[in-house]
Amino acid sequence: MAAVSVHQFAQCITCHAWSPDHSMIAFCPNNNEVHIYKLLEGKWEKIHVLQKHDQIVSGVDWGTESNRIVTVSHDRNSYVWSQEATEWVPTLVILRLNRAALCVQWSPTENKFAVGSGAKTVCVCYYEQENNWWVSKVIRKRHDSSVTSVAWHPDNILLATTSTDGKCRVFSTFIKGVDVKNSARASSESKFGEQIMQLDLSYSWAFGMKWSPSGNMLAYVGHNSMIYFVDDVGPSPSAQSVAFRDLPLRDVLFISERMVIGVGFDCNPMVFTADRRGLWSFLRFLDERITSSSAKSGSQISGKFGKFYGQSKYGSNDTVETSRTHGRAHENCITNIVPLKKPGDTAVTQFSTSGLDGKVVIWELQSQDDLSEYL
Amino acid sequence: MANPLRLYLTCIRNTLEAAMCLQNFPCQEVERHNKPEVELKTSPELLMNPVTICRNEAEKCLIETSINSLRISLKVKQADELENILTKKFLRFLSMRAEAFQVLRRKPVQGYDISFLITNYHCEEMQKQKLIDFIVQFMEDIDKEISELKLSVNTRGRLVATEFLKQFV
Repeated sequence: MAAVSVHQFAQCITCHAWSPDHSMIAFCPNNNEVHIYKLLEGKWEKIHVLQKHDQIVSGVDWGTESNRIVTVSHDRNSYVWSQEATEWVPTLVILRLNRAALCVQWSPTENKFAVGSGAKTVCVCYYEQENNWWVSKVIRKRHDSSVTSVAWHPDNILLATTSTDGKCRVFSTFIKGVDVKNSARASSESKFGEQIMQLDLSYSWAFGMKWSPSGNMLAYVGHNSMIYFVDDVGPSPSAQSVAFRDLPLRDVLFISERMVIGVGFDCNPMVFTADRRGLWSFLRFLDERITSSSAKSGSQISGKFGKFYGQSKYGSNDTVETSRTHGRAHENCITNIVPLKKPGDTAVTQFSTSGLDGKVVIWELQSQDDLSEYL
Repeated sequence: MANPLRLYLTCIRNTLEAAMCLQNFPCQEVERHNKPEVELKTSPELLMNPVTICRNEAEKCLIETSINSLRISLKVKQADELENILTKKFLRFLSMRAEAFQVLRRKPVQGYDISFLITNYHCEEMQKQKLIDFIVQFMEDIDKEISELKLSVNTRGRLVATEFLKQFV
């Protein structure tokens, strides 16, 4: 099985994030609190409850470098939590929003974070040393609807957003005094809030978006059961749309330049891969038994034979599922996918998913032989 | 008879399965509100195209979807006056007790007999498959219920008439 561990933390989880060393997890159990659990002697124990928000917490992100947690909530506020001794101390961030905040992400160097909101704006917040205060700069009048997801380019300047108007946009977030000008990159030429690109591919709402590890590619999903891959981000982007037959996705994650995992309403992570020419296609669901070696053995007969052989030998239990979700790791919509990357690792081979069923599932890709060539 | 009904219900079941992809979504227009968009209809981009599934003129089903809620309205078969009255009374009886059903709407959408309103909160608390099962089961049972009611009304009518006419013999 690809799922290496399943933990039922709550009734329902809206978002989750891991501590830098992956020993702690912070998640919102669908209310105004954020719970932090720690793995102690093989058991998860609740060690902190962050209570400051007064409406449901919609986004949480844990900085790997700075060890700070940022949370945003439907109450329009954001807090940055930093650990002092054993306590988590909140700092209020005035986002200057008049609608709910929907998503948050630390920038790669963790000197900024971006917040998408229901006010059709994106806030980029940075720390101002002299005032001891988080300052929010707002990108206004660019989105026609709520911003559902934000993603930082590895260069710390470009910020991509998806919105319920179905569009995907890329902005420059260069802030004087925070970012250093680098003439090698074209992106640092542009001013704060300048729109680099706008993609109008989806007819329906767009959600979850990520950059590839190199920052050359962008993937996002539409609610019309499509996933979009964007190459050459800039004035003349090229895009691929891949339609699939199952329910729409909510979030995506780049594992490598050639593999993307999508999660959503099908309660089962989907694997998308690019072939040698760079064409993307749906490969398979992650949470299912690989029926013998049929993929590799070429001949269908030998594949079938292998299946029966395997059945008789191991007393197989892959009977036909009566219900879609029965017996799977997740039983309700998966809303969140987070990579589990150790500081030294080059590739992501583990990731965790959380969903409306209140479970956090950790997935391991190394055991999947047919996926190893894409890692 | 059973076969066309089965097809109709399967079609509704599949449509519901695809439509019931809901999520928590705060209101874009009013501060600190979180209301079913399908009811408020404040932002057109948050609504999907409504789907009507018709079996015949008397029996149809309207499924309206938005980002955080879904409304399904049913029109129940009414062959004659008596069925019409029975359906009206029976569904009114149910609508009055809407809290007990959670997903039932207090008032049906205009032109329909009964409406259900499913929000993202229902999807969080309950299993999606069970919710769909409930609605399909409800549709299956409602026809049965109405014809049973009709039978018992007729039987009672006959009984009363016999008793009444006895005094004249």
